[in-house]
Amino acid sequence: MQLTVNGKTYEADVEDDMPLLWVLRDELGLTGVKYGCGIAQCGACTVHIDGMAVRSCQTLAGSLEPGAEITTIEGLGAPDALHAVQQAWVEHQVAQCGYCQSGQIMQAAALLDMNPEPSDEEIDLVMSGNLCRCGTYVRIRAAIHAAADKLKEA
Amino acid sequence: MNRIAIAVASIWVALAHPLAAEEAEAVINVPPEGSVSTEDGLAAWERVYEVVSNPRCANCHTGPDNRPMWSGPSYGKTRPHGMNINAGESRMGAETLPCATCHITSDAPNTVPHAAPHVGLDWQLAPVEFEWFGKSSAEICAQLKDPERNGGRDMMGLAQHLVEDAAHKGFVLWGWSPGGTRVRAPYSLQQHVDDILAWGTAGQPCPTN
Repeated sequence: MQLTVNGKTYEADVEDDMPLLWVLRDELGLTGVKYGCGIAQCGACTVHIDGMAVRSCQTLAGSLEPGAEITTIEGLGAPDALHAVQQAWVEHQVAQCGYCQSGQIMQAAALLDMNPEPSDEEIDLVMSGNLCRCGTYVRIRAAIHAAADKLKEA
Repeated sequence: MNRIAIAVASIWVALAHPLAAEEAEAVINVPPEGSVSTEDGLAAWERVYEVVSNPRCANCHTGPDNRPMWSGPSYGKTRPHGMNINAGESRMGAETLPCATCHITSDAPNTVPHAAPHVGLDWQLAPVEFEWFGKSSAEICAQLKDPERNGGRDMMGLAQHLVEDAAHKGFVLWGWSPGGTRVRAPYSLQQHVDDILAWGTAGQPCPTN
């Protein structure tokens, strides 16, 4: 099947019932997306499909619409031009172990696309499906506010 | 013989949806007028109530707080959906976290315990006027016969709603094959459609308490 990921077109010889998570990691080598639980309970595997955050562990390859634009953490920004959320994550030193953070960042970026100025409560409503065993939630919330401010200035 | 058999689902298959079943999941067989007694209609209603109050149906027929519920044997204690989920006034999370973030639209079988279930339609709560989580048989019965609170449907409309949903591999059909460790709805989709029609033919009688 053909996939568009981070603006590039890939061919992947996979079964329809393979989760997108494993297509990305094992077939395309995009290992920024993480396996956490495999049952949509943790959010570590969050990517964007056509701008919407989804759990890639629940998205079967065969269910992708033709032409769907998939974005992973590797394509959200670039090392020399970080996305505002990635930049805020660095400035606030959000990550501790870091395992959940690509999912957190992808979910946060989707949140700010939808709601450029979220309140604490709105952040909690959107981000509560992304678990962090290190408990970095307070820094996550602060970084989202900072990224929102940066995006407003842009 | 005025028994009518309409395979509504096959019409839907022909009309439009790529996820539609190849065969009708249920058909509409309306009993002849006057053929169902009030007593039999009430018995049919009680079977309908067993279905609509089952966790597979009731968990997403919640009220104006827009929070889906987790209830039933596979969840243990009844509680609001985990992850602080609030589907918002859109009832599908458009203002918060879209249901489809985890409940990916797909007609593939639901086999993994505890995974987010999916169906062939976009996951969402039922409209708020269809709230019936925790309500009694009499309350839900009154609701389902009230066009203001049932989407403007008469007996046939209710039956068609069920069959059309099933043709899209939707929420109704999923209730009988939820996968994982989830308890399934009782009886069958066909029995449920038959009971709706028997109840309707009897004049939609409701229990009094």
